[in-house]
Amino acid sequence: MSTYRQELKSRFAALGIVIVVVLSVLLVRLWTMQVLGADAFAALAENNRVREISLEAPRGRIYDRNGVELVINRSALAISVDPAHEEVAALLTRARNEDTADDPTRGELDAIFGELAGMLEMTPSEVFERVSDVRQEALRPRVVAVDAPMEVVAQLLERQVDFPWVRVEELAVREYPHGSIASHLLGYTGAISEQQFQSSDVYAGYELGDTVGKTGAELQYEGVLQGDKGWRRIEVNASGRPQGVVGEQPPRPGNDIQLTIDIEVQRVAEEQLAAALAEARRQGYDKAKAGSVVVLDIETGEVLAMASAPTYDPAAFIGGISTVEWESLNEKSSEYPLNNRAVMAAYPPASTFKVITGLAGLEAGITYENKTYRCTGRWTEMGTQWPKWCWKRTGHGTLTFRSGMENSCDTVFYEIGYEFYKRKLEELQAEARAFGLGTKTGIDLPGEVAGRIPDAEWKKEFNRNYPEYQMWLPGDTVNMSIGQGDVLTSPLQMATVYAGLANDGVVMRPHILKAVLDSEGLPARTVEPEVFADTGASEESLGVIERSLVDVTREGTAQGAFAGLGVTVAGKTGTAEVKGKDDYAWFCAYAPVDTPRYAVAVIVEQGGHGGSVAGPAARNILAKLFGKPIKTVRATDVSR
Amino acid sequence: MDKSRGRRFLDAVNVPLVMWTIALLVYGTVMVASATSGMTDGSGMLLRHVLGVVVGLVPLVLAWVFDYTRLRGWQGPLIALAAVLLISPRIPGLGYTAGGATSWLSLFGVRLFQPSEPAKLIFIVVVATVVSSFKGRIDQPGQVLKVLAYVAGALGLILLQPDLGTGLVFIAIALVMLLVGGMKGRYFAYAALAGVLLTVAVLQLGLLAQYQEDRLLVFIEPERDPAGAGYNLAQSKIAIGSGGLIGKGLGAGTQSNLHFIPARHTDFIFSVLGEELGFLGAILLLGLYLALLVTALAISTSSRDLYGALIAAGVIGMWLFQVLENVGMTVGMMPITGIPLPFMSFGSSSMVTNLGAVGLLLSVWSRRYGT
Repeated sequence: MSTYRQELKSRFAALGIVIVVVLSVLLVRLWTMQVLGADAFAALAENNRVREISLEAPRGRIYDRNGVELVINRSALAISVDPAHEEVAALLTRARNEDTADDPTRGELDAIFGELAGMLEMTPSEVFERVSDVRQEALRPRVVAVDAPMEVVAQLLERQVDFPWVRVEELAVREYPHGSIASHLLGYTGAISEQQFQSSDVYAGYELGDTVGKTGAELQYEGVLQGDKGWRRIEVNASGRPQGVVGEQPPRPGNDIQLTIDIEVQRVAEEQLAAALAEARRQGYDKAKAGSVVVLDIETGEVLAMASAPTYDPAAFIGGISTVEWESLNEKSSEYPLNNRAVMAAYPPASTFKVITGLAGLEAGITYENKTYRCTGRWTEMGTQWPKWCWKRTGHGTLTFRSGMENSCDTVFYEIGYEFYKRKLEELQAEARAFGLGTKTGIDLPGEVAGRIPDAEWKKEFNRNYPEYQMWLPGDTVNMSIGQGDVLTSPLQMATVYAGLANDGVVMRPHILKAVLDSEGLPARTVEPEVFADTGASEESLGVIERSLVDVTREGTAQGAFAGLGVTVAGKTGTAEVKGKDDYAWFCAYAPVDTPRYAVAVIVEQGGHGGSVAGPAARNILAKLFGKPIKTVRATDVSR
Repeated sequence: MDKSRGRRFLDAVNVPLVMWTIALLVYGTVMVASATSGMTDGSGMLLRHVLGVVVGLVPLVLAWVFDYTRLRGWQGPLIALAAVLLISPRIPGLGYTAGGATSWLSLFGVRLFQPSEPAKLIFIVVVATVVSSFKGRIDQPGQVLKVLAYVAGALGLILLQPDLGTGLVFIAIALVMLLVGGMKGRYFAYAALAGVLLTVAVLQLGLLAQYQEDRLLVFIEPERDPAGAGYNLAQSKIAIGSGGLIGKGLGAGTQSNLHFIPARHTDFIFSVLGEELGFLGAILLLGLYLALLVTALAISTSSRDLYGALIAAGVIGMWLFQVLENVGMTVGMMPITGIPLPFMSFGSSSMVTNLGAVGLLLSVWSRRYGT
């Protein structure tokens, strides 16, 4: 027995070693995982267990100066497609593949999305186009339709088996109680763009697919309106089913803002702009489709109304705009309704610029109120080979500076301009710049243009490739003196010029924000009036200009428009010549003359005459501001 | 020999073996209780687990009181019984398929037990008879081939089900018995070589079911398919790793309670243990297994004959491999197979079998002085 045990001894020892080795190997492995790698695995387990969903912060609302709601939020039922669902993901992979031969065919799209598209009154490719939108976070459901009819929603929920990739979710969207009114000023919202997402400053912490302001106040005050997202951590089981809430950080809603505009004035401004366009077309200016209105408070620079035509409906962007709709809004024939012409467009100011020329002349001592001029209709001071014409070809005869303004006589201003040319001091440009022309006003709206005040240096640079055109000529100053040639101003800039004239030569910076409101609706930050430009013009000169502008609305080129208004208005018509287009109608004014409060600028592109098209619109807007009756004015002025 | 009854009983009982077994059973019951607590019929399942322990006492006592040496004479009937057991799930109307393998015996759709479990014990006894006939010296290829024939026979029947994991247990049992039976070292080298070649051949020839191949390949390269076959492994590793040193507390494992761990009360019970009781809990378990296996080794050493030593060695091989394979798969060291963790996993077939194995060990121990 003992010898037998002896033989076996080494084998048992070997087996014992095997046992110890096997268990040790397991122990070492467990040591590395549970002691050395514990933190990493704990993080993985936590990640498994907890899903964080972000809680959207309600976007701040926008009010007008009187607290009227302009933009609010509401919840909408959105029908979305889950891009991560097998069937849909396969299509998306193929569509994104470089190889175009592999793109999903119409038949395939029809097979999957056909029925849904039918229910939503869309085409299968429209549905797919929204699903394949790359501007979204990869796994976020793609909104296909917002505010679908309840019966469609009910049907989709009932037939989830047939549409496993359809999600019905509640979405916080913008609501516009006044429709498209003030749409340019308010702007619209949409999914954050690639560029916005990449730019680090304002959009830090944003996620793809977030809703942000795209234009107008929505864009300008994005940082104020957005708020901070919250989160909710939910424990889920292996099937992803929620088990309970682990933690929550409520979102901080965005701040509400109050704008300077008065919705009622805005409404009238838009109505009057539309009426002016209709009137222009009635007068035979068939191409009159676009225009703009700006109404300013001269003492504060507050924008009371800002209209731009044609307009658009910001509600079209809720849930994402379709490509077809987007393209139609960006077509040339549509006259670009998304553009806010009041700040984004620059035009020759034409005769409305004569106030600058006149003021510069008065300040330089080149002219005075009763200085007499002789207008024969044809002006040949620069030499007979370069004649210039007054708009009134038959001539105004003998007239003073003041009546030259009243009748918008070009000859008077040619004379002043030519004098400036001869002095070679560029005083006309200096006066324009003293009003802030040629630079942005700094209004709190995106996309503002600076316009242009041409001078010798600019011309040289502008024509750097054409040496023969580089020299500043007498005609350049003369053209500029009547607001033609190379001068360009935005409607907003012309409104600020007239506001400056009314405000003793001090131009207040135009702005649309009145206050940022706190969570109680009380002003957390109020915008204080700020001087934009101080022209330093003398009271005397401004008085001459004012008297001449009052003549314009009493007896001059705009008398038809302003007859019977009951408020003394200082205004000026303008009729801009643009090569290849019908004349652009301008009217700029401020009122009341005794204690000026408001400045108005109206332009109607290809609308013809300032006096008969733009003037009546300005008249009715002022009527609204002063509580006077609004009338349909059929003025016959064909002057400039 | 003039001994009192009490003294004779104590001689017949290997106290450490009984102690370690009871400790493991208690530990297992606690873990099954924790793992099933969140299930729809948690208490019912716990009751079934305890019932399995009680039922397992029957084969334990039977094997204990039965003189194992008499099993030698039953070689033919035992082989036949094992064959019937292994084939039975393939008999139409009796089989039950789960997880890709038809390894259950059922009647009228009700799962009864896994016949391959008790077949392991019969295999141990049968091979012990063969190997003991070589008188402790295996140096002829013919001897090895004879043993291999039994292994191949068993494997052939098991792969019919097909249950790769159980097949591996049979190989491990045979290897340990060959070691104790006196097989020369170079044969082990040959066996290792043959094993590698066989694995490659099996993979190349596509003899495995797709799910088996997936599991094997995922074991080699876990990131291959994280949501599919690799999912179980990944979740199991996360559970164990996140348990840390002291664990998340009994019943507080998130991986377990939120259903991230598959088969958490059966094959992946160790993942639950690792997550809830941590490294310390794992040390305790492996310590208990070490104690159990060393006790079994002592019993093997104490056997009055080679036959008894081989039977004990077979049991050691069975338990050691199952612990290695089961714990190993939960930590990503071994491919995923459906092998239960002895005394721990929920499942009566393996519980009854393991308690039967304890009975065999007691039978060897109590007859160590012989006559």
